Amino acid sequence: MDFSTTVAAILSLFIFSFLYRDNPFYKFAEHLLVGVSVGYFLVISIDNVLVPKIADRLLRQNDWSVIVPLLAGALILARLIPKWSRWSQLALAVVIGVGAGVAIPATLQAQILTQMKATMFSFIPPENSIGWLYILERIVILLGLTSVLAYFFFSKEHRGVFGTYARIGTYFLMIFFGATFGYTVMSRLSLLIGRIQFLLGDWLGFLN
Amino acid sequence: MLLKLPLIIVAVFGLFMLVQFFVEAPFLDHTYQEILDWVQIIYLFTLWVGAINLIKLHLKKSTHKKEAPYSVVTLSGIVIMLFFGLIQGKEVGSVFDWIFKNVQVSLQASMFSLLAFFVASAAYRGFRARSTEALVLLSVAAIVMLGRVPIGDLISGLIPDFANWILNFPSMAARRGILIGIGLGTVATALRVLLGIERTYLGR
Amino acid sequence: MKRQYIYLLILAALTIPLFLPLGLKHQVTDEVEKFYQTIEDLPPGSTVMVSFDFEASTIAETKPLAQAVLRHLFSRRISVVSLSMLAEGTGLGHSFLKEVADEFGRKYGADYVFLGFRPQYQATILGLGEDFAKVFPQDYLRNNLSDLSLTQKVRNYEGISLIISVADGDLPQYWVDYAQTRFQKPVAAAVTAVMATSYYPYLSSGQFSGLVGGLKGAAEYETLLGKAGLGSKGMEAQSLGHLMIIALIIIGNLAHLRTRKKI
Repeated sequence: MDFSTTVAAILSLFIFSFLYRDNPFYKFAEHLLVGVSVGYFLVISIDNVLVPKIADRLLRQNDWSVIVPLLAGALILARLIPKWSRWSQLALAVVIGVGAGVAIPATLQAQILTQMKATMFSFIPPENSIGWLYILERIVILLGLTSVLAYFFFSKEHRGVFGTYARIGTYFLMIFFGATFGYTVMSRLSLLIGRIQFLLGDWLGFLN
Repeated sequence: MLLKLPLIIVAVFGLFMLVQFFVEAPFLDHTYQEILDWVQIIYLFTLWVGAINLIKLHLKKSTHKKEAPYSVVTLSGIVIMLFFGLIQGKEVGSVFDWIFKNVQVSLQASMFSLLAFFVASAAYRGFRARSTEALVLLSVAAIVMLGRVPIGDLISGLIPDFANWILNFPSMAARRGILIGIGLGTVATALRVLLGIERTYLGR
Repeated sequence: MKRQYIYLLILAALTIPLFLPLGLKHQVTDEVEKFYQTIEDLPPGSTVMVSFDFEASTIAETKPLAQAVLRHLFSRRISVVSLSMLAEGTGLGHSFLKEVADEFGRKYGADYVFLGFRPQYQATILGLGEDFAKVFPQDYLRNNLSDLSLTQKVRNYEGISLIISVADGDLPQYWVDYAQTRFQKPVAAAVTAVMATSYYPYLSSGQFSGLVGGLKGAAEYETLLGKAGLGSKGMEAQSLGHLMIIALIIIGNLAHLRTRKKI
């Protein structure tokens, strides 16, 4: 039970006190977290990004090309002054333009074409014999994918055969949400297990 | 002019990056790398806007009687981290690293672990099988929850297999549908941005 | 049932198994096996990029994941070039990396390098494909990349055999979208459970060379490595926790049905 672990444990207990009700200990811990997190980010961004990427290049290497993004960055800071905030749009436009430009081919290839290709290729039968489960799995993939896409297709009214098909899509979505929900529970419980292990094991030494 | 300029910048930079993806031209490489560098630097400033706004807010709140002590705690946290981080450095064993590991990590991990309690409470109070869809959702969740832990295997070897099957086929197919849908939406929105049709990012 | 009773029930379900181990065994899933095999198939001396794309909030899951993967890499004498796409992941990633590297006696600069943090995922991932030193003129410890033997040898993705994203969000998707699409690099992901279901299409399409999900995934990986770690230790508590949540859903629904019948 060393000093560092005790500090960490007591602060953790301050957070857990919220389970009883909101109280000054929790509020203190919450505000401290916000403060140190912002401080941490600022230090990392200055020491790990600003210094090597801007200051060193400008002051040690006399690399003046960095002036352009630096000025653009200064325009972003103009956002903090309401009267000048519109100037930040110029710098923001660079980030948005680049983001949109690179996203088009990447998304098209990684999320649309490759996924469609994978669906089509899954229908190529393997060399060994095909069982009923193999056929069922392919039907499930095709039905699931197309019905979910039908559900998200809002240009046509969800009625008649199309409506029924889109409704099948909602069941597939529920299966996905159910699986995700199961995994979310798993994730949340893991986080608490980690804290219990810390408090009872690392701090109090009750666990081996 | 200030109204049109951002749209022109978006189009020029966006089209350059788009063309660069398809055309292999060594003379474009330098400009391409420079632009990627600019974006990282500019983006850093956007993150600072958030941090500075938070500092401004707490400076303002620190003059209010009721909120003052907590805002002072936040501001002290920022100052202490900046002081030790920039003066002493951030290596393993430094004060900055000690605060990060024992204060920040501990607080944040505990804060998020509270969600386990809220999930348990919601499981009892909120998760009702009121419709067939909800019943499907809850049944799949239960199978996955059992199938993904050792106890599921102990009850029946079929449970983990069924959970795996759900994840690899029906759930995967639905997620693929969502993914393709999001992909189409992303491409369409990016095109609208490049063409100046989508202007919400300018507040218009 | 009062809220506080539910809290106590879940706390008990997660705590008791930590004191009374039941000795339950768990299966290794195909996706974890695939991840493990991908690393096994790399020749010794290869270099892998590990991106710590997580924050402290999910450390209970990401620490066992990162440790298991790093142990595997270092045990096979694979070099690691590492970075973080999130500021908070920097401190965590650096300490996990140092801890595991020390365990295996690996040397900084020669066997592993930690580059640090860069904002804007797209520009960083694309930039690294061109030149590490352009994106990171210096590493996290402020060494010039040209002074470190590993980054003298490996200057961009050309020298990287595999990219692994240990993540609690959608970063693995960015690695696929940009590093794989443009530079044809294989990507594998070790993610928190809450993100795992979202990535099955990538696994099925072959865009991911493996997927390890959550504490359970970490436990499976530890089984493959033959060394129990944080993942395995939490699995029994996880089991009882899941049973408790399912019981609470059933009881909640039964109670709801009863009150509805009374009305």
